[in-house]
Amino acid sequence: MELSDWELVQKCQSGEMSAFEDLVSRYYQKVYMVILGLLRNRDDAMEVAQETFFRAYRKIKSFQGGSSFYTWLYRIAVNIAIDTQRRQKRNPLDFRETMDEVLEEQNEVAKDPFSDRLVQAINDLTPEHKAVIVLRTLEGLSYKDIGEILGCSEGTVMSRLHYARKKLQSKLGGFL
Amino acid sequence: MKNCDSTRESLGAWLDGELDRAESEAVRAHLEGCAACKEEQRQLEKLQVALKSVLDSEASRIAFPPFWSSVQQRITEKSAWREDLVDWLRSVFSGPRIAWAIPAVILLLLGVLSGDSLVSGFRSFGQRNNFASVESIDAYGRNVALLREDETKTTVIWLYQNQEGEDESTTETRPSF
Repeated sequence: MELSDWELVQKCQSGEMSAFEDLVSRYYQKVYMVILGLLRNRDDAMEVAQETFFRAYRKIKSFQGGSSFYTWLYRIAVNIAIDTQRRQKRNPLDFRETMDEVLEEQNEVAKDPFSDRLVQAINDLTPEHKAVIVLRTLEGLSYKDIGEILGCSEGTVMSRLHYARKKLQSKLGGFL
Repeated sequence: MKNCDSTRESLGAWLDGELDRAESEAVRAHLEGCAACKEEQRQLEKLQVALKSVLDSEASRIAFPPFWSSVQQRITEKSAWREDLVDWLRSVFSGPRIAWAIPAVILLLLGVLSGDSLVSGFRSFGQRNNFASVESIDAYGRNVALLREDETKTTVIWLYQNQEGEDESTTETRPSF
């Protein structure tokens, strides 16, 4: 039987590294995608995702289960991603592979015009709108959880999702 | 009864199961009788499926073993660094080695305090020797004031003009450059 997040956290707190490995395997792809949505760069997203789990490991003894583990984890990820984004804004001349390139590369394999248009539409979204779309789509998180992670109200989450979907719909036009 | 605009505003939240019961029922009732909004619902559902497919596809490209290995490496390296620091601090501040640390700290404090008094001494010495002269030249209603300070070899020049009707005694010197 699969252990719950909280059971794995408790095992981690008593020093079981394998329990932490299980938690990482459960969330690493989703954490990576949320960060990629915010940073638009695969290498940076990988770096931040690894740092997220490292910091989670260091702080896990202080996690008391007041919120769900994934909310706590995503909050760490989003905070590091936002810090990274601020640093990148100070160094705008850095060459960075964008999420457009990442997803376009993936799309070249798929050669699907609908996916191609969708990728372009996703990349035209602002980081705030992309973050809510990714958190909702990949994880199916509630508006309350998304609000906690991003530090905004449920109303703001609802409004951002509405706006993001309208944008995507208008960009996809006849494909839908 | 909801109209098309308010239904479309709430449609995404309705599909996400985020509306309360009454609101949810109102959206459902409107959809039953409105083909245009039903079409909007179909588009949003298709969009959701496509989004999940694209994002899942990218996420699945990241293999777990190298990711976990890098996380483990961070944990080991950074833990080792912290442990080294703790060991070093423990070795410095424990046992017989602490014997030299106490006089060293006292000497350091004395040095900081005497340095501070020296600095303030220099400051007051500087003020005592801060000789300066101000010269004023009045020519055709324009005034030039010169301030010369010997200590730092600084010269400041004011060029100003007397305002008509102003009492000379209340005239302020206003830098004009």
